Amino acid sequence: MLTVVLFFLFFSLFLYVLLAGADFGGGIIELFSSSKNQEKTKQTIYRVMGPIWEANHIWIIILIVIMWIAFPQYFNIFVVYLHIPITLMLLGITIRGLAFIFRHYDAVKGRSQGSYNALFKLGSILSPLFLGIVFGGLVGGNINLFSENPNLTFKEIYIDGWFNIFSLLIGFFYIVLCAFIAANFLIGEAGDDEELNLYRKKASYSTVILVLTGLLILIYGYFNEIAFVIDFIENTYSLIAVGISGLVLVPLWKMIKLKRKAWARVLAGVQVLLIVSAAMLAHFPDVIITSTKEISMLDGVAPDSVITVLGVALLIGGSFILPGLYHLMKSFQLIKLFK
Amino acid sequence: MENLEAARLQMAITLIFHIVFACIGMVMPFFMIISHYKWLKTRKKVYLTLTKAWQRGVAIFFVTGAVSGTALSFELGLLWPEFMKHAGPIIGMPFSLEGAAFFVEAIALGFYLYGWQKLPEKFHWFTGVIIGISGVMSGILVVAANGWMNSPSGFTYENGVFSNIDPIAAMLNGAWFTQALHMTLAAFVATGFAVAGIHAYQVYRGRNVELHKKAFRIAIIFASIAALLQPISGDISAKDVAERQPAKLAALEAHYETEKGAPLYIGGIVDEENQEVNYKIEIPKALSFLAFGDFDAEVKGLNDFPKDEQPPVAIVHYAFQIMVGIGTLLAIVGLVYLLSLRFKTWQHNRKFWLLFTLMAPLGYIALEAGWIVTEVGRQPWIIYQVMKTKDAVTPMPGIFYSLITYTSIYIVLTCVVSWLLARQIKVLNQNED
Repeated sequence: MLTVVLFFLFFSLFLYVLLAGADFGGGIIELFSSSKNQEKTKQTIYRVMGPIWEANHIWIIILIVIMWIAFPQYFNIFVVYLHIPITLMLLGITIRGLAFIFRHYDAVKGRSQGSYNALFKLGSILSPLFLGIVFGGLVGGNINLFSENPNLTFKEIYIDGWFNIFSLLIGFFYIVLCAFIAANFLIGEAGDDEELNLYRKKASYSTVILVLTGLLILIYGYFNEIAFVIDFIENTYSLIAVGISGLVLVPLWKMIKLKRKAWARVLAGVQVLLIVSAAMLAHFPDVIITSTKEISMLDGVAPDSVITVLGVALLIGGSFILPGLYHLMKSFQLIKLFK
Repeated sequence: MENLEAARLQMAITLIFHIVFACIGMVMPFFMIISHYKWLKTRKKVYLTLTKAWQRGVAIFFVTGAVSGTALSFELGLLWPEFMKHAGPIIGMPFSLEGAAFFVEAIALGFYLYGWQKLPEKFHWFTGVIIGISGVMSGILVVAANGWMNSPSGFTYENGVFSNIDPIAAMLNGAWFTQALHMTLAAFVATGFAVAGIHAYQVYRGRNVELHKKAFRIAIIFASIAALLQPISGDISAKDVAERQPAKLAALEAHYETEKGAPLYIGGIVDEENQEVNYKIEIPKALSFLAFGDFDAEVKGLNDFPKDEQPPVAIVHYAFQIMVGIGTLLAIVGLVYLLSLRFKTWQHNRKFWLLFTLMAPLGYIALEAGWIVTEVGRQPWIIYQVMKTKDAVTPMPGIFYSLITYTSIYIVLTCVVSWLLARQIKVLNQNED
């Protein structure tokens, strides 16, 4: 049953990174568009993401609930040492969610739209930035446990763990990844050739920046002997996953050129799946790396009775949710591939 | 401000706001689908307009509820890491089911909001029904988790170690049913009166009367019936608390001394220092009867509990008085509405509409007071008689700043949501005139 639980954990992580990524990315693309194109982008994002927007953030709730039920010790370190960036991430999600709904549900379309837009873009940057920083903090090897050294200062315990170049780079990487996902996603939804070219351009820019940031992280991590990066480089499977994700870029570009929108979308999803798996393969189950040791997620896993019940609950819940979500996406033609 | 106080206050403020968003998001879909049903049945345009207006309300509150719920699911861990470390696996069951129910709700809402003219009519309406049912389900499941904090079960606790965990037994703890019943009814009373009140005000001011009268009728029938049932559920809850959490009962009645045939105190000002309640109305033996069904039953006083296990008295007592007082008033007003169905001339009187306008905020005040009773009344425990709140709080100092941030966000949020709703109503009235 632990396998079932872990499957759902990674499955929700993947879907959150992908779907929320597309969602955040929409805002980022909007931010980097000329004011003429902003309105168009905004309409397209709403049309595409609107129906599943409500469902998106629930993946992170599922993720967090599975963590605290099944891996309580792990969750404990996560919430105590990364309190500040998690709070800032929540702030981003809150700002963004509200701006989104207000943009579309304010009965009067007037001046206030300007401030909603500004908030929306701010939230779209803050959320992925701090989400990335949180992940960077977990694996960056900078967390100082106060159980090991009671004389640590506030800064050493609660700030140094995540406020460092490595974490910021990961944060930046996720921002670019979001833009990459969204651009590829939007290509399939462009109304006219002008819009199509716009998203295509964004897609190629973000791909280039994504690859460069990825390399930068590896180089920085290698020279600063960050355990996560070293393990990543030494792990054959991770390298294979990254290698494939690099190779997938070629057919991705081809499909974009040939206007095979559905395939482009699938390949972009595969890309994300490969990146998430590469990161996981490098380190699972030691997903927390502190300044002194690596902590396994499976240490202090909840008792069998809990895992069994949780696994059953996830299977039952999943059998309701997944077909529902599939039909939702299908009804609104988010999945054009299966038509 | 001490870290513990700041953390408790932050939790309280987040929940006070979240409860309002969540309850509206839970109950309004029912109003919406009734109106939608009427539209399908009668094809009167006014019902379609109303359905769409309420739909926007549902969407706004669903999203605010979802966002503040996301923040809350993290906050539990951020503020109370020790609690979550031990309680997480035990009460994970209702939370994971709640996640599932919420997900179903979100999917159904996606279908509903974007399904006009795209889905078959009946199926589209049915997705609205699913929104309502799954919303109530998630409410009940979350309350079941809270019930566990009042009535911990499904584990053995020895020398600070939790073992023999049975998540199902924890979910079906002794308090879940009474609490879930009371809360669900409260959500219907509070939202029903709030929605009815807003529409009653529009009728009172003579704006777009046809639509607002129809809206009022749908909301108030739920509210009236729930308000009349609520005292029964309240009695079940009181008896449950009397048996399970005698210290809470003593605090909500502000009884310091143990006595047989204890009187019921109504109102009064609590003097915590001298352990007295001044200016109260006393009904002899009534408390013993209400709590135990026996006029001579013994009611334990606060002084029978160790000093460090007593909840704050004044705040719990006042909150309880407010809840019961308003609850009674709303039951009477609910009855007035039901009678007005028989005595139709009442509804021609403007004072009738003014009365219901004035009731609009009361349900929510009572609902918040009820949460203060159950949460503050459980103090100093976070898990009743197992873990104290002060042992659960985060070791990170400076929660005060987090408190300020969250409070400002929620205040801004509430202002903006109210402002948006006001604009919706304004536009609605303009379009019809």
